[in-house]
Amino acid sequence: MIRTLFLMALLLCSLGSCVVVKEYEKVAINDPDMLLLEQPCDRNVTIAHTYREGAAGANGGKTGGGCGCN
Amino acid sequence: MNRIKISIVLLFFLTSFLAFSQQQDDTTQGYKKRVLETVEVDILSSYYTQDGDNAAVTGGKGTEELTDATGTIIVSIPLNADDVLTIDAGVSAYTSASSSNVDPFDGNNAADPFVASSGASRDDVWTNLTASYSHTSDDRNKIWSALASVSSEYDYFSVGFGGGYSRLFNERNTELSINATVYLDSWTAIYPFELRPFAPNGNGLNNGFFLDNTIIGNANYNPQFTPFENENRNSYNLGLGFSQILHKNIQASLSLDLTQQQGLLSTPFQRVYFADVADSFVASFQLADAVEQLPDNRLKVALGGRLNWFLNDRVVLRTFYRYYADSWGLTAHTANLELPIKLSDRFTVYPSYRYYRQSAANYFRAFETALSTEEFYTSDYDLSEYVANQLGFGVSYSDIFTKAQLWKFGLKRIDLKFYRYDRDTTFTSSIITAGFSFEVY
Repeated sequence: MIRTLFLMALLLCSLGSCVVVKEYEKVAINDPDMLLLEQPCDRNVTIAHTYREGAAGANGGKTGGGCGCN
Repeated sequence: MNRIKISIVLLFFLTSFLAFSQQQDDTTQGYKKRVLETVEVDILSSYYTQDGDNAAVTGGKGTEELTDATGTIIVSIPLNADDVLTIDAGVSAYTSASSSNVDPFDGNNAADPFVASSGASRDDVWTNLTASYSHTSDDRNKIWSALASVSSEYDYFSVGFGGGYSRLFNERNTELSINATVYLDSWTAIYPFELRPFAPNGNGLNNGFFLDNTIIGNANYNPQFTPFENENRNSYNLGLGFSQILHKNIQASLSLDLTQQQGLLSTPFQRVYFADVADSFVASFQLADAVEQLPDNRLKVALGGRLNWFLNDRVVLRTFYRYYADSWGLTAHTANLELPIKLSDRFTVYPSYRYYRQSAANYFRAFETALSTEEFYTSDYDLSEYVANQLGFGVSYSDIFTKAQLWKFGLKRIDLKFYRYDRDTTFTSSIITAGFSFEVY
């Protein structure tokens, strides 16, 4: 699994150098739905997952602090 | 053969980075656009409900009914062309049937793990205040940030602080980031009601509670109970991020989060029932044999990836995958798909699906299967093996020209979303969220 992800990272890095998208070509990239983050109104959904599930992190959510024990 | 393959991949990788370094930064230094033009205000609210039959407070058997209403206001203030101060304040009020059974013997309702009690632990309010500050360099390619936070509820207090740095390269096609946060938390430990007389200097079965109530089953009730000495919990997080525009319609990111937690990682009021100890009851309520015991260290590793694809003027595909593993033996996979569909310039709908699967933590024991001879045990089903599916649907209204105005506030965006979450156990939850974004003139 880790090896696969590492290779994916390498591929992603490599692909990046093949293309340079100019600022004036970033209309689609700048669309609010293209943000590489959780959408702001989903924040409390992510917090609920963090509290109720064993896994946390790598999604822009809370990774520590707070109780969430109820 | 493998060596040749690896060499080719490494050469390609090296060439890519050399290509980055040779590109000219075309940022114009003359005119400097403000990072944030005006004050922005976001108001978020949500209403969450859950239910299930595996409450950790009652050792893995009992109602998990809970409701939570949360309100948050986030104000982003441009201090000058480069600096932004963000204040984030939130309040969350919850009512929990399982927490109410920290003391099920309130005399108002039947003492039963499936019946909520009316005690003080039935509800609580969580409050949070976070202030963050960011500074962007003149060329807009370097961003420094710092944050401080404080949160409080009846039995828990948390202070956090941290900082981050982001660097954009390659005509802003590539971003690398690093951030670190520290949370210093402290408990005011509250233990199950029937265990309190067994603390050092307690009077055990001579306590008024046991004199007033008849123990059914094992009358020689003798729980394994010592209050926790250390009531602190510290969390240290390190996050690394990499994002890349792959095409004028596609971008992707990878992130790695490492979290080290130390201190009291057990929840003091979560009961455990031992398989090798005879059961004792008062009314319909089984008396605790112990509270959960978990190691005082936990290392968490989460590796996530996102890929967003602007398929056409109407449809965007948002994807997310995360692999998680920790030192308690819990591993998890999360996959999320969202398909924003633009119905018009202003309205977008958001159907989504999320899959989550986790293995059990090494210390998880189902209801009444832990042994009194073990060092660590918990019957918290949030740490058990399960699969969860979540379906969501949302709608948003956006107006970049903020034509709708109320006093000095111009409405920029409204979001409304609903999610339904089902585990392959009895646990289910629902959440409805609403978000309002304003620009202030």
